[in-house]
Amino acid sequence: MIQFDQVTKRYPGSDDVLKNVSLKINAGELVFVTGHSGAGKSTLLKLIAAIERPTSGTVLIANQNISKLKASAIPFMRRRFGLIFQDHKLLYDRNCFENVILPLHINGVSGTEAAKRVRAALDKVGLLHKEKAMPITLSGGEQQRLAIARAVVSRPSILIADEPTGNLDANYAADIMAIFHAFHQVGVTVIIATHDPLDMNVMQSRILHLSHGGLKPTMTGEQKIENLLS
Amino acid sequence: MNWLNYHQQAIRLVLARMRSNKMSSLMICLVIGVAMCLPALFYVSVDSLSKLTNHMQDETEISLFLKLDTSSNAVAEIDALLAKNDAIKQHRLVTKEEAWQQLQAKSESNSAIHQLNKNPLPDAFFIQAKSAEPEALETLKNSLQDIPGVEQVLFNADWAKRLSILLGLGKKVIFFISTLLTIALLVIIGNTVRMQILTQKDEIEVSTLMGATNSFIRTPFLYAGVFYGLLGGLLAIIIMISVIMTFNHSVSQISSLYSSDFRLSIFNINLFLTIIGIAAFIGWLGSYLAVARSIASIAQLQNSR
Repeated sequence: MIQFDQVTKRYPGSDDVLKNVSLKINAGELVFVTGHSGAGKSTLLKLIAAIERPTSGTVLIANQNISKLKASAIPFMRRRFGLIFQDHKLLYDRNCFENVILPLHINGVSGTEAAKRVRAALDKVGLLHKEKAMPITLSGGEQQRLAIARAVVSRPSILIADEPTGNLDANYAADIMAIFHAFHQVGVTVIIATHDPLDMNVMQSRILHLSHGGLKPTMTGEQKIENLLS
Repeated sequence: MNWLNYHQQAIRLVLARMRSNKMSSLMICLVIGVAMCLPALFYVSVDSLSKLTNHMQDETEISLFLKLDTSSNAVAEIDALLAKNDAIKQHRLVTKEEAWQQLQAKSESNSAIHQLNKNPLPDAFFIQAKSAEPEALETLKNSLQDIPGVEQVLFNADWAKRLSILLGLGKKVIFFISTLLTIALLVIIGNTVRMQILTQKDEIEVSTLMGATNSFIRTPFLYAGVFYGLLGGLLAIIIMISVIMTFNHSVSQISSLYSSDFRLSIFNINLFLTIIGIAAFIGWLGSYLAVARSIASIAQLQNSR
């Protein structure tokens, strides 16, 4: 599904953010990307989501080489992903319903079909009763849930979340994680970046640990605990 | 169907945005309207004037005076020659006898004329040319001059020439004013759209991240530009009509002094359509340039982060 081969990413005027990263994520997996801030988590996610292109190496998404993709094909590649950002990137000039319908319009879905899917997505994150509310009136957790609704409304096969619980207190964070697990249960590939490797949810899942731009050996959370204890 | 929906959505979005920014939208349309109506007004005046001169040139006559000793046979030959000339619409012979009688009849009281005992007048042809162009008239005049037996060709084309040159100048002025104003309009509309893009930068960025194509992002802005242009064009026409109506009162007063019924023509459907069409096109182009620049800069921003 997603395959990195010797991927290096360097921004102009900086050191390598990612160095020789090779990894493989299968369809339907739930993967956490951990590491200290500045370790390259966001960059890794951006490479996966075709927002960035690698400086060297190959990124294959669904067997397509991102670097060789034509600029006009990139938008269509991006539609495979549902993106959730730490800062939500909600649009504050429109209500919840209109925020969530945007990806459907981009995908050319409109009318009653679109409305139905928007309400279904809002329902999944428990915000159906707030469809007319403006995002600014929502709490931080609700805003994050709204962002999730927007990411999943076009039924992407891959969900990518960058620090989705970063600014939230424990209760909200647990809510959000439960939602991600629910999507994982129905077969969606979920990739979550978090700086909090000891989160309970991270424990049972596969972890890609980044340190100074390099990928540390893959392990599950339980192994990681054992490592820490020994 | 999908395609239709997509455009409907874009139009609805644009109209909603314009409704929520009524004042600034109106300002933009007003700027376009004023800028468009200046060259249009110029055009209407020059157009009306050149119609007037065409009308006057139709009445221009070339007078062909023959030598005094021309025989009636030679007059008939010249008559036949003129009839064959393609450039001549019609010609009329006034013999020296007719002219003499007319002169005497006109000046009964003038004893000086009556004291002449010999007819001093030559035979003359009065010719109307087919073309009213000063240059064509000039060539015709020269060819007539060459006919044997012709004493003098009189044709007062100087004023027609001057007016025609002045009108040519006026047309050039229109061209330059229009060009300059078009550039100004492109900048104004482009800048407006750029401002709007700045306020919607988040939306554009989020849409790009979600896989919106450039044309998806561009379309609403293009519609906005076209709408500004259309409304601005309408305003230009309204301004123009009111200015012309105000002026026409004075213009008809002046032209009645010259016993003419000259007025500026108000309703010219072709001109109206042209104004609206050009305004809409300028709106579209201005938006296109602004959006293309913004999309490129946002893409760059994403890549350098």
